[in-house]
Amino acid sequence: MNLRRLIIRRSTEIFFIFFVILTILFLLFRLAPGDPVSRMVDPSMTTEEAEHLINQLGLDRPLWSQYLFYVKNFFTGTLGNSFHYGEPVAQIIGQRLPNTILLFTTSIIISCIIGIYFGKIAAWNKGKKLDVWMTIGALVLHTLFLPWAALIIIWIFGYKLGWFPLNGMLTPEIWINPETGIFARFLDVLHHMFLPLFTLCIIHFGSYLLIMRSGMLETLQEDYILTAKAKGLSAIEIRNRHAAPNASLPVVTSVGLSLAFSVNGGALTEIVFSWPGLGRELIFAVSNNDYPLALGSFLFISIVVLVANLIIDILYAYLDPRIKY
Amino acid sequence: MIIKMQISSLKVRKKGIVILLTLIFSSFLFSCTEKKDGTILKIGIAEEPRTLNIWLASDANSRKVLSLMYQNLYVRDPVSLQLIPWLAESMPLFEPETVSYIVKLRPAKWSDGSDLTSDDVLFTINLIKKFKIPRLYSKWKFVKKVEALDSQTIRFYLQKPVAIFVTKSLSVPIVSRSEWADVAKKSLTHEKPLTALLNHKIKFPLGCGPFVLKQRREGAYLYFEKNRFFFGENKKIAGHILGPFVEKIIFKIYSSADVAILALKKGSLDYHWSDIPPGHINGLKESKHIQVFVSKKSALYFMGFNVRHSPFSDAALRKAVSILIDKEFIISRILQGYASDMTSIVPKGNKFWHNPQLPAYGHGLTKQQRIKKAYAILTENGYTWKSPPINEQGETTMPSLIRLPNGEPMQDFTILTPPADYDPHRAASGTIIQEWLKDLGLPAHSRPMSFGALLSQVKQRREFDTFILGYGKLSLDPDYLRSFFHSKNNKKRGWNMSGYHNPDFDVAADASVAAVNIGERQKLIRRMQEMVMTDVPYIPLYNPMRIEAINMNNVSGWIKMVGGIGNLWSICMVKPKQI
Amino acid sequence: MAPENSQNAYQMEGLSRNWALFIRNPIGKTGVILLIIFGLMAVGSFLPPQIDTMYHPMTGVDPLIANSSPPSWKHWLGTDYMGRDLFSQLLTGARIAFIVGITSAFISIVFGTIIGMLAGYGGKILDSVLMRLADMIMVMPTLLVVLLLSSLLGQLNIWAIVLLIALFRWPGVARVIRSQTLSLKERPFIDLAKIAGASHFRIIFRHIAPNVLPMALLFMTFRVTSAIIIEAVLAFLGFGDPSTVSWGMMLQWVWKTGHMFQAPYWLIPPGVCISLITLSFYMIGRAMEEILDPRLRKEGKVD
Repeated sequence: MNLRRLIIRRSTEIFFIFFVILTILFLLFRLAPGDPVSRMVDPSMTTEEAEHLINQLGLDRPLWSQYLFYVKNFFTGTLGNSFHYGEPVAQIIGQRLPNTILLFTTSIIISCIIGIYFGKIAAWNKGKKLDVWMTIGALVLHTLFLPWAALIIIWIFGYKLGWFPLNGMLTPEIWINPETGIFARFLDVLHHMFLPLFTLCIIHFGSYLLIMRSGMLETLQEDYILTAKAKGLSAIEIRNRHAAPNASLPVVTSVGLSLAFSVNGGALTEIVFSWPGLGRELIFAVSNNDYPLALGSFLFISIVVLVANLIIDILYAYLDPRIKY
Repeated sequence: MIIKMQISSLKVRKKGIVILLTLIFSSFLFSCTEKKDGTILKIGIAEEPRTLNIWLASDANSRKVLSLMYQNLYVRDPVSLQLIPWLAESMPLFEPETVSYIVKLRPAKWSDGSDLTSDDVLFTINLIKKFKIPRLYSKWKFVKKVEALDSQTIRFYLQKPVAIFVTKSLSVPIVSRSEWADVAKKSLTHEKPLTALLNHKIKFPLGCGPFVLKQRREGAYLYFEKNRFFFGENKKIAGHILGPFVEKIIFKIYSSADVAILALKKGSLDYHWSDIPPGHINGLKESKHIQVFVSKKSALYFMGFNVRHSPFSDAALRKAVSILIDKEFIISRILQGYASDMTSIVPKGNKFWHNPQLPAYGHGLTKQQRIKKAYAILTENGYTWKSPPINEQGETTMPSLIRLPNGEPMQDFTILTPPADYDPHRAASGTIIQEWLKDLGLPAHSRPMSFGALLSQVKQRREFDTFILGYGKLSLDPDYLRSFFHSKNNKKRGWNMSGYHNPDFDVAADASVAAVNIGERQKLIRRMQEMVMTDVPYIPLYNPMRIEAINMNNVSGWIKMVGGIGNLWSICMVKPKQI
Repeated sequence: MAPENSQNAYQMEGLSRNWALFIRNPIGKTGVILLIIFGLMAVGSFLPPQIDTMYHPMTGVDPLIANSSPPSWKHWLGTDYMGRDLFSQLLTGARIAFIVGITSAFISIVFGTIIGMLAGYGGKILDSVLMRLADMIMVMPTLLVVLLLSSLLGQLNIWAIVLLIALFRWPGVARVIRSQTLSLKERPFIDLAKIAGASHFRIIFRHIAPNVLPMALLFMTFRVTSAIIIEAVLAFLGFGDPSTVSWGMMLQWVWKTGHMFQAPYWLIPPGVCISLITLSFYMIGRAMEEILDPRLRKEGKVD
C-alpha cells in the first residue's frame, strides 16, 4: 500500500518537474538570439524569401500559440519537425536512439561487472598494497578527462597500432554488399564499437570500483557476516556469497543516480568517435539552432533520467523496508 | 531474490567475458580480410547530408550529394568558367522584341527510364514560383510566363531584360513531374504549403545525373550506382568524353579531418570532399600515393562595419582601420599562406568582373608605417588622444583611449566573429585585429559568438559595431554586389548588413541588373567596386585556397576547377586505374 | 555566550588534529603536492609574456615559426598552428582552471549551504519547495544544460560560464547540508539560543553555519573538480570563452585544426593537466571525507 502511494506521489512529481523543464526550455529557445533562417548565409536568399520561410515555419506566430502548438506536438508524440532534416523529431530520435542504447548500456553493464569484481577484491585486501594500488588506479581513471582520453585511445589503438577503426559505426564496403551475412555485420559493428566502449568503461569503472569497495567494507562489519565467519564458512564463500551481493546494491543504484552524469560522458564519446547517437545529434542541433530537435532530444533524455530515478527510488523502497518516504 | 540472481550471474559472467573477447578478436581478423573492389569510388564528406529533398537542401553536403542526381540546364566549363549547355542542347536564344529566351533541351532520360521533356522544366519553374522556394524564387520572380513550344523547346517571357537570367535563373536544378506532382498537390492543401513541401521526405531522389542513390544508412554512408540512362555517357561535352567510368560511389562520413586524412593514406578513401587544414599538407606530401590539390576559390572573407551610427559611420575611421589591418600577416600566419589577398569585394580570380585599379590600403607597410599613416588620417579628421600613438620623437608608443571628433572618448566596441570551432581562422583574425586596433587606442574587443546568434545580431537586430564573416562559395556572377550594398536591402533580414547607403551606388546597381550588354555591365560592376572600396563598409580580408587531397591508387582523372576537384566533371571523368 | 566560545575552541582543536591526520594520509598528501605544483604553474604563468611578447599565450607568435613545431629550447613544449608558445599556454591554463574551479565551487557551495540550511531550518513548505527544486536540477545532465544555455545566449565569457556551472551544482550540497541542519536543529544549544531570544537569521548564520562548514568545505573540493571538467568540456566542444586560453581550449585547437595525429607534444600536456588537477582535488576531497565522516562517502560520489 505504502509502495503504491510512493509510486503515485513520485510520478506526479516527475510529471510536474518535467512540465517545468519543458516550459523553461521552450521559453529559452524562443527568446534566444538566432533563428534557423538567419543561419542561411546564401546571399541569393532575399529578404522576401526569408520572411516567407519564417511565416511558413510558424516562427512569426505569437509565443503562446507556439507554446500550445509545441505542447500539443509533444503529447501527440511527433515533437514537431526538425528545421534541418525536415523530418519529425521523434523519427530522428528513433533512428539515433538504438545506437546510443547499444553503446551506453553495454558500457554500463561491463563497467559495473568489472567494477564490482575488482572492488570486491580491493575491499577484501583492505590496507594491503593491492588495495592501495587499486584505489589509486580507480581514482586516476575516474578523474581522466574523457574527451582527451578518447582522443588518446584513438591515437594509440586506432592510429599507432591500427587495431580498430578510428570512428564511425560500420564499414560501408561490408554493408553495401548484399551477400554479407548478419553475423558479419554484427562483427563489423562490434569492431567499431570496441574503442568507444573501452573509453566509457575505463571512465565509469573507476567510480564503480570505489563504491563497491566502500560498500563491501561496510557490509563486512555487519552482524551476519560475523555470524557466517563464526559458522566457519570459508573466506571466499563469505566474500562471494554473502558480502558481495549485498554490497553491490549501492553500485547498481549509483548507476541510476549518476545517470545524468553518464549521459554527459556518453554524448562526448559519441562526438569524438562520430558514433551516430542521440547525444551527438543533440550537440549538433544545439550548434545549428535546430530548436525542435535540440529541445526534443533534450526532453527525451530528461524523461529517461527522471524515470530511471523513479525506478531506483521504488526499487530502493522495495528492497530496503527501513527506508521511509 | 535479487541476491540469488546475482550469484548465478557471477558464474555466467566469466563465460560472457570469454565469449565477448573471442568475438572482438574474430571481428578484428575479419575486417582485415576486406576485399578490394577497384570500381568503387570512395568519397569522404565532413557531415551527414541534412536532407535529400532538393528544395530543403541548403547545406554544402546535401548539395554535393544531390549534384550527382539533379541536373541543371547550364553548367560552368571547368577551364573557361563560361556557361555551357548541359541539359540544354545549346545556349539560349534571346528575342529582344518579346523579351523572351528560347531554350532547347537535349534528349535525356530520368533514371527510371522515362523521358525528360519541356513539361518537367515547366513544372519545376511553376513549383518554384508557386511555393516561393527560398533562394530560387527571387531568380524567377521576374519571369512572366513559361511555355513549352514542343516537347524539347521552352520559351521564357521576362517582364524586362535582366542580366542574371542566363547566369543565375537558368542554373536551377530540374526535377521530374512524376516525382513531385503528387507531393506538390498534397502540400498545397496544407496550412503551410512551403513547410509541407520542405518537410516531405525523399528517400531515393529521381534525377537524371550520372549516378543513382541505391542505399543510405544515416550517420554512416550513401551508396550510389551508375545511372544507365545518363544522357551524357560517351558524349563529348566541353572537350571531354564523359563517363561515368566507375560503377559505384560510396560517400562516407568523416567528421574529423584527422581521421579522413588517415583514411586517405590507408586507401579507404579516394578523395575527401572537404577542406584539409593547412597543417596537414607536409604530412600528406610525404606519402607517394597521395596528391594534394590547392585550388582557387571564389570566396570572400571580410570585416564589416555598422555604418548606421557612430563611430563607424565615419569613413575616415573605417579607412584607418583598413590601414591598420595587416592582411599579409593574416594570410601568412593564420591561413599559413593558403589564401590570396583581396583588394575588392569581387575576388581577383574572377578576372572579367574584378576591378584591378583599387586602393590597397596599407599594402606592404610595416607596423610602424601603418600606425603613422592611420594616425595621420585620424588626426586630419579630428580624432585626438591624451597621449597619442606617435610621441614627439616620432616613435610609436602605446596610446591612451582615442577621442572622437566631438571630444567624447570612444566607447568600447566589439568585433563579432564566428567561434573557433566553426572557423578557427576568422576567430583568430578577430583576436589579432583587436590587438592591432589597440595600437591606435581603439577599444576593440573580439567576441566570437555562435554562428546563428552572430547572424541574427547582424542581420535581424542589427545591433553591432563590426563583424567578420565570409562567403565560402561566392557565385561567379557578381550580382551579390547589389545584394550586399544596395540601400533597399538595408532592412531586417536584408543582405546589406553594414547599412551602406549611397544613392550613386544604387543607380549603378539597378542599371547593372538591366544591362544585358556584357561590356556595359562590366563597366558598371567595376564602378560599383570602386565606390565600395572608397567608402569601405566592408574590408575584404582574404580569399582562402581550397586544399584537397586524393589517393591515386584506385582512380585517376580528377578535373581541377575553381572551388576544387570536387565537381560534377570529376564525377563524370574519373577512371579506375588499370592494374 | 559560554557555549559558543567553547564550541569554537573545540572546533579549532579539531581542525588542527584533522590536518595532522589529513597530511599523514598518502592520498591526501599526493593531492596536496599535485595542487602545489599546479599553483606554482598558475603563478608562473605571468612570467613568460614578461620575458618576450612572443610568449603571450593568446596573441604572441614566434616571428620565425608560422606552424606547429615540436619542442625546442625556445619553446619547451613546441608551438601551436600559429606559432604560439604551448608551454606558456599550458601555464595560463592552470590559472584559468583555478579561477574557474574555485570561484564556481565557492559560489555553488554558498548557494547550496544557504539553501540547505534554510530548507532544514525552515521545514515544511519551504523545505519541500527547495528540495523539489534541487531534485529537478539534480536530474538534469549539467553539461548538456550548460551547453544548451551557452549556445542559446551566444558566446559566454568565462564569468558567465562560472556562474552557470555554479547554478547547476548546488543541489547536492544543499541536500547534505539540509540533513545536517535537521539533526543540528534538535541539539540543545539551538534551543538555548532560541530561549536567549536569538533571531532566526542569527541562529542560522551564527550557530548552524559554523557547524556545517567542514562539510561544505569538503563538498567544495568535489565541486572544484566538476567545475573544471565542465569548463574544459565546453571549451573542447567550442562553447568556451574564446578570449581565454584554457586547457580545454588547447585541446579544441589541436583537435579542430587537425593536429591530433601529428602533434602529440600538443595533444598530451593539456589533457594530463586537466586529469591531474581534477585528481588532486578529488584526492584531497577523499582524504578529508575519510577524516570527517566515512559514512558520507555515498553523497559525494554522485558526481
